[in-house]
Amino acid sequence: MMNPSRRATRVLTLVNPFSKRAQPSAMMDRYSWYEIVLIYLGIFVFLFFMLAPFLEGFLVSLKPLSQLFSTPYSFWPENGSFEAYVTMWERIPYFAIYIFNSLLIATVATLIVLALVVPAAYAFARFSFRGMPLLLGAFLAVSMFSGAVLLIPLFRLMRTLGILNTYWAMIIPGAAFLIPSAIWLLRTYMMRIPPELNEAAYMDGASQFYTFRRVILPLARPGIIVVAIMTFIGAYAQQFIFALTFNSKTEFMPLPVGLFAFFGRQEVIWNELMAASFVGIAPALVIIFFLQRYLVGGLTAGAIK
Amino acid sequence: MGQLSLKQITKTFGTFEVVKDVSLDVHEGEFMVFVGPSGCGKSTLLRMIAGLEHTTDGDIVIDGKRVNDLAPVDRGIAMVFQSYALYPHMSVFENIAFPLRVEGAPAAEIKSKVEAAAQILHLENRLDQRPGNLSGGQRQRVAIGRAIVREPEIFLFDEPLSNLDAALRADMRIELTRLHKQLGATMIYVTHDQIEAMTMANRIVVLNAGDIAQVGAPLELYHKPQNTFVAGFIGNPRMNFLPVTCTEVTGTGVTVDFNGQRLHVEVEAPASLRSHLPGAPLTLGVRPEHITLGGGNASMTVTPSVMEYLGQNTIGYAPLPGGEETFCFVLPGTQKVPADTPIDVTFSTADCHLFDSDGRALPRRANTEDLGAPALQIERTTG
Ligand SMILES: Nc1ncnc2c1ncn2[C@@H]1O[C@H](COP(=O)(O)OP(=O)(O)OP(=O)(O)O)[C@@H](O)[C@H]1O
Ligand SMILES: [Mg+2]
Repeated sequence: MMNPSRRATRVLTLVNPFSKRAQPSAMMDRYSWYEIVLIYLGIFVFLFFMLAPFLEGFLVSLKPLSQLFSTPYSFWPENGSFEAYVTMWERIPYFAIYIFNSLLIATVATLIVLALVVPAAYAFARFSFRGMPLLLGAFLAVSMFSGAVLLIPLFRLMRTLGILNTYWAMIIPGAAFLIPSAIWLLRTYMMRIPPELNEAAYMDGASQFYTFRRVILPLARPGIIVVAIMTFIGAYAQQFIFALTFNSKTEFMPLPVGLFAFFGRQEVIWNELMAASFVGIAPALVIIFFLQRYLVGGLTAGAIK
Repeated sequence: MGQLSLKQITKTFGTFEVVKDVSLDVHEGEFMVFVGPSGCGKSTLLRMIAGLEHTTDGDIVIDGKRVNDLAPVDRGIAMVFQSYALYPHMSVFENIAFPLRVEGAPAAEIKSKVEAAAQILHLENRLDQRPGNLSGGQRQRVAIGRAIVREPEIFLFDEPLSNLDAALRADMRIELTRLHKQLGATMIYVTHDQIEAMTMANRIVVLNAGDIAQVGAPLELYHKPQNTFVAGFIGNPRMNFLPVTCTEVTGTGVTVDFNGQRLHVEVEAPASLRSHLPGAPLTLGVRPEHITLGGGNASMTVTPSVMEYLGQNTIGYAPLPGGEETFCFVLPGTQKVPADTPIDVTFSTADCHLFDSDGRALPRRANTEDLGAPALQIERTTG
């Protein structure tokens, strides 16, 4: 037998925890207990698949190398330590430079992409000109290729331009392959900014450029940040293949290539490799978290009607 | 300053002619209202005056100067959009200040002008807020504020009140009229709300599918519509149109045969029509509010199918024989009229309009002033 007061508290705990309504206890946001269980189970399974490799990687980085090849394999480290995080710096003296190179390549590529994509996306969103559908279609087609397919022609191009074995050899192709999808993404975002705002600014005597700077740019900021994050991640992930192909100078190598140094002739130093991966990703994570803080929704509220 | 002339303006989108050969003079300081059914080209005409849309043909002349190729600012025009079009990332102050910032006005001037505009529009306490936190009426006032800081000679409004609820619309109507008096600028106002048109306008332009159907003062349109379109468009509920046959043209008017009754309507028959009229089919127009239960010199029997009791008045709708047309009558106050029972309604020929078979009105003889005089009996207290 359930007494009425317990019953009441049970109903209260069943409100939808994901509701965005002002009053989360609204009728349509109420779930029964098994729905809540199912939702959390789903979230757990999804997160487990996503995060299990990271967890395993982290645990590996804590284990001494000998333990990694013991049978039976123990998932939890026995007498685990952070020693690998220290020794990795000695094994690869260039490691800090690799991290710096990775960040530099990804950052410069992102800046180049933004500088080109923001005005281009605006033009594609607001103006209609001859050949526009064709251009947009071409962008879509290009973004279906990955850079890897075009390595040989790209190599010849880089050689002709004389930028093999420089940072530019990794930045330029990286940026080029990220531009098309960035244009599509930002164009869609900018098309949602009411065109009446352009007309109102025009009525008030503002030039196209003034309107762009004072009205469109601030309103497109969340979209620009999303594009920046996507591009940064893309540039970070892409650089491996370009670095391997277009660069042979150790001091210009990015992190993913640098990690190869842990693959010895006989064995792979797994614990240090994992430790190095986590240290290497850390700065990128910090940058992305920083950018994410500027992602605010609802900026156009109150513009029209 | 602020005199606007449209000279044979035409606008086509592709092959579709939206505005057809419109010529119009708007006087300085006038409150001009464009009305017409949806899609008749009101917004298009306004946007051409604003400079947001090119004319296909014709000239726009402001203060004697052709402005077709000038940008909106150089025309001395400001526009208030139906959708407000406020900059959501800027405060109310910055929204109103925007045109001045574009001009590069000094900060002190911007501050004083914005504050003056805020005072006129009762927005003093809202200057720091974002548009997203304002009510519809306040947003609309911000949009108006942005228009008035530039001190334009001509204001354009495209259905500025249509997003507001009825009560707020009534308030804003009065405020806009007050603003017009205060600023003395020329205002062109698009609406499809009749009450807005009738109450605010100095003159009304009725547009019908890209053509001007009639231009005139509100009461002139009401009392002397030049065609069936204007007669049907101005006035609510709509004017009743009844088929009649002309029997005789006399010096004082036209006599028609209506269901066997001979009605003499005091209109002028143009000389060119005079000989063709006898025997020709005409349309008799009588407004629902001129129908009475007894008293007039013409009568007809109708069977109301729906009765509406609004307290202030009583509206009845009756199907007319042989047509999709519905006969409508408005009786003052609350009068019990049973539905689905035939009743005799009457009207006076002095309130009637006559239209020829092309829908053109035969001009009424009465003076608009006489027709406009209210038939109120005011009790005077003596002593
Ligand atoms: N850019 C355009 N391209 C093609 N046709 C257009 C364009 N703008 C307007 N039209 C057409 O012109 C006609 C008139 O449009 P307009 O917006 O002027 O009507 P309106 O009188 O303002 O109507 P509403 O009262 O609904 O606002 C419409 O039939 C519309 O479809
Ligand atoms: Mg319109």
